[in-house]
Amino acid sequence: MVSPKDKAWSPYVAGVLIGLLQIPAFMLIDTALGASSSYVTIGGLIASAVDSSVVDIPYVAKHVAATGKNWWQVALVVGVAVGAFASMKMSGAARHPISPIWWKALGTNSPHVRYAVAFLAGFLMLFGARLADGCTSGHGLSGTAQLAIGSIVAVAAMFAGGIATALLVLKRI
Amino acid sequence: MSLAFAIVVGLAMGAAFGFALEKSRVFEPGMIVGQMQFRNFIMLKVFLTAVATGAAVLAVLHGFGVVKLHPKAAIYGADILGGLLLGAGIALAGACPGTVLAQIGVGYRDAIATIVGGLGGAVAYSYAEPMLAKTWLFAGPGKITLASVLKAPYWSLALGMAVLLVAVLVWLENRRPWRKELGAQVDGNLPAERH
Repeated sequence: MVSPKDKAWSPYVAGVLIGLLQIPAFMLIDTALGASSSYVTIGGLIASAVDSSVVDIPYVAKHVAATGKNWWQVALVVGVAVGAFASMKMSGAARHPISPIWWKALGTNSPHVRYAVAFLAGFLMLFGARLADGCTSGHGLSGTAQLAIGSIVAVAAMFAGGIATALLVLKRI
Repeated sequence: MSLAFAIVVGLAMGAAFGFALEKSRVFEPGMIVGQMQFRNFIMLKVFLTAVATGAAVLAVLHGFGVVKLHPKAAIYGADILGGLLLGAGIALAGACPGTVLAQIGVGYRDAIATIVGGLGGAVAYSYAEPMLAKTWLFAGPGKITLASVLKAPYWSLALGMAVLLVAVLVWLENRRPWRKELGAQVDGNLPAERH
């Protein structure tokens, strides 16, 4: 049986639960599940403290506007952290400050190297996601479920980029 | 839709999302790097199950006229180049833009650097967007879907894809039982492969 105290659930149980989240997304918010737009909302607000003209860019203005969809998505990603924290507390799963797989994948035990790689990774990830107009959630979960051609192309490119990088840049874990 | 309502719904949905991500272990760097190196297939299992479920529920909701669909426009150059960069970032982060928040929730410290980098990437893109939007990268045929191209009802194709994905998952699970892919610490950190 599935219990909140389990350390791990079947990927199929978790996958069904994630897929069912499309119901409230479409019915209550009239949008599809997504995550990467929220980085423009928050990043745009932070940038506007330094450069107030950034909100003159229509792309930024659209994302920082006080609309339900923009702030629904910011709330969603904040909720993800809360939900993961609750799940971990209930199962009592022990956690290292940095996953031990990185020492194998990066070939060094230096946390500083890992922080630098993580920063670069985040930059690439969000620059790429905004260029493609969606991430693993927006294109991957929602776009493919809606059979959007552009999303299917974007997901194929994501896996191609991910596999090439994991095989050519990282060491085998 | 009021802002407060949207935020409450978002927090509740996010909490369920984060709970499922943590329980499935797919937020673990060992699962993301492991998938991209074909060591384990937990990520693909969670992902394809969620796509199949989403397609099935949208087939019903859209088939009965309850909801409108929101497919994104096909912009092939941007989809491919952006997808490649995103994929490279995912492998090096061991996370996606959404699951990195689950890493924050469980206390992974490098996830903070990933998020700071991500905000930087989103801001850099925002400055570049007015220029990039005028290029060939954004040329495309608009919001086309398999349903519009094949001139078939969305619900029938979506249900067909869901059935196909379930068949793929049954085959995958037979070859790779999920319990053997978790590792002793349920973080996808498996013992070295024997050759």
